[in-house]
Amino acid sequence: MTDIDLHFPQRNNSSTGCYCLLELPPELFAVMQDGTESNLTVKGRATDDAVLCTSEKTYNIRSVTLSNAFCVLTSPEGEESGQTVIRDSIQEIYELVPSISKLHRIDGILKDCEYDEGLEDDDDYRNDRPNKRARYTYSDIKMDVQASDCELDRGLREKHVLVVNGELRPISPSYLTTVLELLLTTLVSLSQSPDAASAVDLADALENDHEIRRDISMQVMSWFGELSSEAVKSAMKWKADIEAIVRQVGLGILRAHSEPLSQDELLKKWSDAVGDTFETKVSMAHLLGNYLSEPSASTASHRITYFPSSRLPLSPAERLSDLFLTRSRWKADDIAPFLADIAVDNKDRDKMLMKYARSTTDATGVTWYTAKGGVVS
Amino acid sequence: MIIPINFASSSNSDARLPPQLARIGTDEVVLIELQGALQVEGDRAGQQVGKLHFANDDEKPTLTIGHHLLEGKVVKLPKPLAVLYKRQASTPGALDDPSREDSGSDVGYDVVGVVKRKLIFSKRPIPIVSTPSVSSAVNGGESGGNASGNAKASLKWQR
Repeated sequence: MTDIDLHFPQRNNSSTGCYCLLELPPELFAVMQDGTESNLTVKGRATDDAVLCTSEKTYNIRSVTLSNAFCVLTSPEGEESGQTVIRDSIQEIYELVPSISKLHRIDGILKDCEYDEGLEDDDDYRNDRPNKRARYTYSDIKMDVQASDCELDRGLREKHVLVVNGELRPISPSYLTTVLELLLTTLVSLSQSPDAASAVDLADALENDHEIRRDISMQVMSWFGELSSEAVKSAMKWKADIEAIVRQVGLGILRAHSEPLSQDELLKKWSDAVGDTFETKVSMAHLLGNYLSEPSASTASHRITYFPSSRLPLSPAERLSDLFLTRSRWKADDIAPFLADIAVDNKDRDKMLMKYARSTTDATGVTWYTAKGGVVS
Repeated sequence: MIIPINFASSSNSDARLPPQLARIGTDEVVLIELQGALQVEGDRAGQQVGKLHFANDDEKPTLTIGHHLLEGKVVKLPKPLAVLYKRQASTPGALDDPSREDSGSDVGYDVVGVVKRKLIFSKRPIPIVSTPSVSSAVNGGESGGNASGNAKASLKWQR
């Protein structure tokens, strides 16, 4: 039998409102318990909805009001009497909901910082137009973008953002295509193996023959493959991700055509660009989520239009509304690539489709999605 | 803006909760859920709210507040709750954390503890005539000049 006295704190309201309760999802609890996670932060601008970032994941923070009150009890401090002290009474807890990282903001922030071929001589550029362009560093972006460190690093890689003299500069798509095509041809001309090419030799060749800065080509190589971390720089090997390079080159060709072009023509240009050695890697599957394909009346080949999912709205309702404006009905397989970047996983995607679209299955067993009666809101 | 959440090291190891409570929460913090809210008349600073009573089996604790007796139970939380303490620049000495200067931010949260169970008092309060230990604090307010102060805690119960 034990009796324990409950007391109020000695100083009035000293800690009221200072405590809050955060509900931990099982996976977060697990990493907190085994001590592998010790880098939790709340991120965002003052006007954003707050998110909680671990080093790997992003969670939306949702406040839930309770009808009951939680009393937070701790041991007494200093002069305080009793055995326990009620520090605070809370009627709200914070729930964490897994979320996709909000990397799209990177595009907006770095919109005017694009790095292009004509601007390579950075010093001249700087003298000509001082203060013309805002400059952002990695830590600026980290403060502003609601994403975990892992997601942010991956996002900068995927969005092909260069670090030039400490600044973040997204590479222009056409320039990237140029560099990649040159890398492929140089790989062949130097007879290097794509699995272990000498990074230094490649960078030398690109710098001497094509005036592409060494730090640029090195960063491009690191995006499209792996650079081994050798102590001696000259021994650094590049394991090229040929599929990713081929895909990017294909995207570049597609992007350059504002008018629809036939699939055969696209594939031919694409194969020419990557060269004989890597021709076999060319496949329309690489471009999923970036094009619309329509049967053509005049030729057997489909007509391909550049339609990147990255340019569609981010909120599920708006995106599906946009998609159904573009086409009134979609095959399940066709619409999926356009939702991949806003859904946490396939289950999440199906939930979106269920909420904002109507599905019908025709006689041949193909599932079609159409807009849900009237305006999707 | 980045607001760090720090995993506070066990700050004052000597001030621990009584073992019965620590068993429910952690050494540092325990959560009690009340169906209703505490109402206090007068100055509450340092006042006694009530008494927690643990029987030998530990499973049916009771809470006496004023003239009310509550029967509670220990419940496992559906998901663990992290109890965070908001630390502002205006409350110095909350924790002498050297990383505080490094972070460059004046607001931060410390994880006081991660709690997996709570003590819940959800049944209707039972009126009691007198409990000598508590009545002194409660009656003190009515008599005015008592050394034990002039606060009066009671429980407003809601269904």
